[in-house]
Amino acid sequence: MAHPGRTKRGEFLAGCRDEAPLQLGVLPFGMLYGIGALAAGMPAWLAQLASAIVFAGAAQLVIVQMLTAAAGALPIGLTASLLNLRHVLYSASVADYVRHLPRRWRLLLAYLLTDEAYAVAILRYQSTRPDVADGKPAPAGDLGHWYFLGCGFTLWACWQLSTAAGLLFGATIPPEWDIDFAVPLTFIALLTLLLRERAGQAAALAAALGALAFATLPYKLGLVGAILLGLVAGVWASRRGERNEEMGKEGGR
Amino acid sequence: MSTPALIGLLLAVGIVTYLYRYSMIGLFASRSLPGWLHALCRHIAPASFAALTASALFVHGGEVSIALDAPKPWAALIAALVAWRTRSVLATIGAGMAALYLFKFLL
Repeated sequence: MAHPGRTKRGEFLAGCRDEAPLQLGVLPFGMLYGIGALAAGMPAWLAQLASAIVFAGAAQLVIVQMLTAAAGALPIGLTASLLNLRHVLYSASVADYVRHLPRRWRLLLAYLLTDEAYAVAILRYQSTRPDVADGKPAPAGDLGHWYFLGCGFTLWACWQLSTAAGLLFGATIPPEWDIDFAVPLTFIALLTLLLRERAGQAAALAAALGALAFATLPYKLGLVGAILLGLVAGVWASRRGERNEEMGKEGGR
Repeated sequence: MSTPALIGLLLAVGIVTYLYRYSMIGLFASRSLPGWLHALCRHIAPASFAALTASALFVHGGEVSIALDAPKPWAALIAALVAWRTRSVLATIGAGMAALYLFKFLL
């Protein structure tokens, strides 16, 4: 459904406006990343550049934490790449809405496809184009990509600015304050938010035990092994849960 | 890690991440992804955060050390309780850091 009377500028600004409230949650993570990056010994200019190159909060915090733990480049790269794998799911989810766009637009929107921008843009796409299907042409005058751009731009700008704020602030914090401990504390907070289902709890528990069991492996490669162990445990627990559910159904019949 | 190595690492992660993001809207036409990928992605974040936290608390220089007089595990326990009660990231960090300073002073 096209929106008559809507303009590119109007759609862009609507995207910015709807993305803005989420920045309250993004800002502390950006600052924390900046502070943690300095504490981990990253040069400030490179920490800022990383926010543009990687542009993924959780992965950047994981990189910082692994640098603090003196991990090698290979385990850090593997862990961050695994953690970002979910972006393939986002990419698939928005594909039908952006497939008709010229390549330069798709290249740009792909760069801006982060958790928070995706969350806002997909809601708008689903409400304005509920009849989307593969191969179906976009309605004439569709400006949804300007809205998406507004979301992505707002998040990008906030991420860069909050990184810079964290770097400026972090430079004033003495090392004996142990501020790098804020990164694992953040992981603890995120874990309690994520661990609602039993399978996720199994994954986390196995990964935590794995991190201790494989601690002696060089370059912190044990962390990669621990995460893989966690994934196996998580998938196993999911399967088991599904099977118990099925058996429960049959038993009640 | 040396700065050039770090630049290479960040570039590699950035390129991989960008390829993920571009994959389904620019590279491949198929859009229905297998269910196991969804299931896997759900567990990656909890597994990663748990492994890194356990390592930060109990691994020092490649060796596991679980000591009752180490302040960080106790501070992490307080933080976990606050996280569980408040579900707030900022409150968790605040409580965890305050507990760390307190335990460093006491222990």
